[in-house]
Amino acid sequence: MTLKDILPGEKCRIKNIYVNNLRKRIIDMGLTTNTEITVKKMAPLGDPMEILVRGYLLTLRKAEARMIEVEKIGGSS
Amino acid sequence: MLKIALVGNPNSGKTTLFNGLTGSNQFVGNWPGVTVEKKSGKLKYQDFEAEIIDLPGIYSLSTISLEEEIAVRFVIENKMDLIINIVDASSLERNLYLTYQLLDSKIPMIVALNCMDIVQKKLQQIDIKKLEDELQIPVIPITASKKTGINDLIKLIAAYDYAGQKHEHRYEDQIEKTIEVFENLIGDRFLAIRFFEDGLKILEPLKLPPEANAKMIEAYERESKHYQIDFDMVIPNSRYDAIIAVCEIVLTKNGTDVISVTEKIDKILTHKWIGLPLFGLIMFMVFFLAFGPIGTWITDWFVFGIEWLFSRVDTLIANLGMMPWVSSLITNGVFGGLAAVIGFLPQLAILFLFMAILEDSGYMSRAAFIMDRLLRKFGLSGKAFIPMLIGFGCSVPAMAATRTLDKDEDRKITTMIIPFISCGAKAPIYGVFAGALFFRASYVAVFSMYVLGIIVAILSAVMFKKTILKSASANYIMELPEYRMPTVKNTMLHTWERVKGFLLKAGTILLGAFIIIWFLSYFGFVDGTFRMLMEDEIEHSILGAVGKFLLPVFRPIGFPDWQATVAMLTGLVAKESVVGTLGILYGVAGNVVENGSLLYEPIRLAFTSAQAYAFMAFALLSTPCIAAIAAMKKEFNSWKWLIFSLLYEFVVAYLVALIIFQVGSLDQGVILSIIFGIIAIMIVVFSIRKFVIKRGAICDSCVNCSIKDNCHLPKKDEFLAIIDQKKEDDQDDRE
Repeated sequence: MTLKDILPGEKCRIKNIYVNNLRKRIIDMGLTTNTEITVKKMAPLGDPMEILVRGYLLTLRKAEARMIEVEKIGGSS
Repeated sequence: MLKIALVGNPNSGKTTLFNGLTGSNQFVGNWPGVTVEKKSGKLKYQDFEAEIIDLPGIYSLSTISLEEEIAVRFVIENKMDLIINIVDASSLERNLYLTYQLLDSKIPMIVALNCMDIVQKKLQQIDIKKLEDELQIPVIPITASKKTGINDLIKLIAAYDYAGQKHEHRYEDQIEKTIEVFENLIGDRFLAIRFFEDGLKILEPLKLPPEANAKMIEAYERESKHYQIDFDMVIPNSRYDAIIAVCEIVLTKNGTDVISVTEKIDKILTHKWIGLPLFGLIMFMVFFLAFGPIGTWITDWFVFGIEWLFSRVDTLIANLGMMPWVSSLITNGVFGGLAAVIGFLPQLAILFLFMAILEDSGYMSRAAFIMDRLLRKFGLSGKAFIPMLIGFGCSVPAMAATRTLDKDEDRKITTMIIPFISCGAKAPIYGVFAGALFFRASYVAVFSMYVLGIIVAILSAVMFKKTILKSASANYIMELPEYRMPTVKNTMLHTWERVKGFLLKAGTILLGAFIIIWFLSYFGFVDGTFRMLMEDEIEHSILGAVGKFLLPVFRPIGFPDWQATVAMLTGLVAKESVVGTLGILYGVAGNVVENGSLLYEPIRLAFTSAQAYAFMAFALLSTPCIAAIAAMKKEFNSWKWLIFSLLYEFVVAYLVALIIFQVGSLDQGVILSIIFGIIAIMIVVFSIRKFVIKRGAICDSCVNCSIKDNCHLPKKDEFLAIIDQKKEDDQDDRE
């Protein structure tokens, strides 16, 4: 599954990043393999999404989130 | 003199620290990316003197925007004597990433650990001594906003051993081996690491011969086979692993991990349902306060005061018995022009003040977050919303606000479309014309002007993106900073900086422009002699002659007489003066600016409704006032772009007015023509939108990519295929 499929409040761990656009920036912002992410919420219009990563809040578009492969952790729903 | 650079993440408090170190007042905001150009100041401490350079905030040495590029180039190429790496202690993990990158450069470095107050609030503790041991460089805890720890930092800078051995961060064995391979080829460890991370992009400025380049590529291909994960992720991964290890040693958490206060505020401000209305309300309040009754009331008193002051000077000048042209230059040229511009000042100051509060508190980032989806449809980033919104008040601050955008191209597009957004000064024009000719439908006519402006702005943005500014990406990835209570001092400084910028412009470029326009409108040939003119003789002025000369050009778009042309020309000074000039030219007694209905009669005689509507549209879209042109020049920093965008605006205005007038004159059915125009524009909008959406927001080309041809990663389609495959696998597993 990808980061886009994670619902607000759920946690996941990054498996792989297939993002092409902004790839370097996403990696440098701390989204690397095995990083834990908590999805916080979607913007009022449904996109971008807000995530908690490495102790700070980051917002990114679903277009990019769709290219980040993750696995869900904790409370399986 | 020693050169010391301040380097750190956006919004980590660099500029505040810079003020603390140099004592000079600087622009500080709670919006990632406020400092665009580098700023320098002097640090003095006893006998010690050094130049401190404040650079745009960066998250990493791999850059994506122009201002980041400036910062990185500056640090790397200018061989700084010392880097003060300011680290936001409340977000230690991410901030230390840049620290580790900088460590590779082996430039002497001190870490200033900022925001210690927030760390304490979160019930966390950072062991400074242990952090120093881990990084092997000096670490000083500070709280820049409260000025604690700054003295310790200054003492350390003065006493720093600049010649000492610098520690080098070692990576895992396999990585070190690869670095060594690259180092043997380039001859520099730091460059080798950068090449490892960023690929060929790093080699461009070095201008290596093709054979050397080919060798590097070959080595890159070969080395990448040694790793399980993507090659460009190897070093970042290793760094973050090291950072996590360090954080575990130095950071003690007594509380929970959540960003509690910020999260609580965001629960309301970016809420699914109320987030958007609240945003609208906040923006409305800012506008209401700046341009509504309160702002108008303050402006009225301000203008009253200025006019009183100027009139005193006028009498003084009159009593001095100077030559008439000198006193006219001062009273009509200089004062008249300045009064027109300074009249904006109170409203601008209020607007700047609220923008400063919104920026310093951290709300602006949320605004971009909320609006991104809407603006993306037109190829703009969410961050472009604020400048466009400010544009409804005045184009001048709006253009200054474009600096917060990531990419130069995005900045250019936004600057070019701002003039299409109907600013406050254009409102009186609509008011007078719509009032004279559209009667009960007048407010519809006025409102349609605002809509027309927005549509033209959006269409232009889409068009620029498709044609001349293709590399504009309108990328969006943004940190939401924690909310901060804006301090009175910072907010005031922030506001003052911008007001000062506006005043300086009014004092220099604008003054020259006013004098030229004064000359053109107060001198001319009367009965064969060239002389100065009286107030009501503007018909004979050079400007009048130009207006008459240009009339054939404006006939097709419905200008009925030379008066309309001249009025439009004086609009270059300030759009407010269009109505005033018309009053003079049509020989109306009384103040038409304050009482627009005086103009209704002459306008009804001269204009048909189609002509009036075309005139309004032309006034809306054509070349902006001189203050805005000056602001544009400042933002583009290029005459070529300035002239291009002014011409573009003129042509667009002309075409739109032409269509309105020609269609509107066909059967006198103005309303019909408006409807027709709107439908036509809608069709164009939708067809273009379709086209834009098809392109999608994910990059599907390798243009601007660091590894370009040498990319062994699958392309976008392949990525999607992989992800789809994985999803299917997931499903299979579940079944």
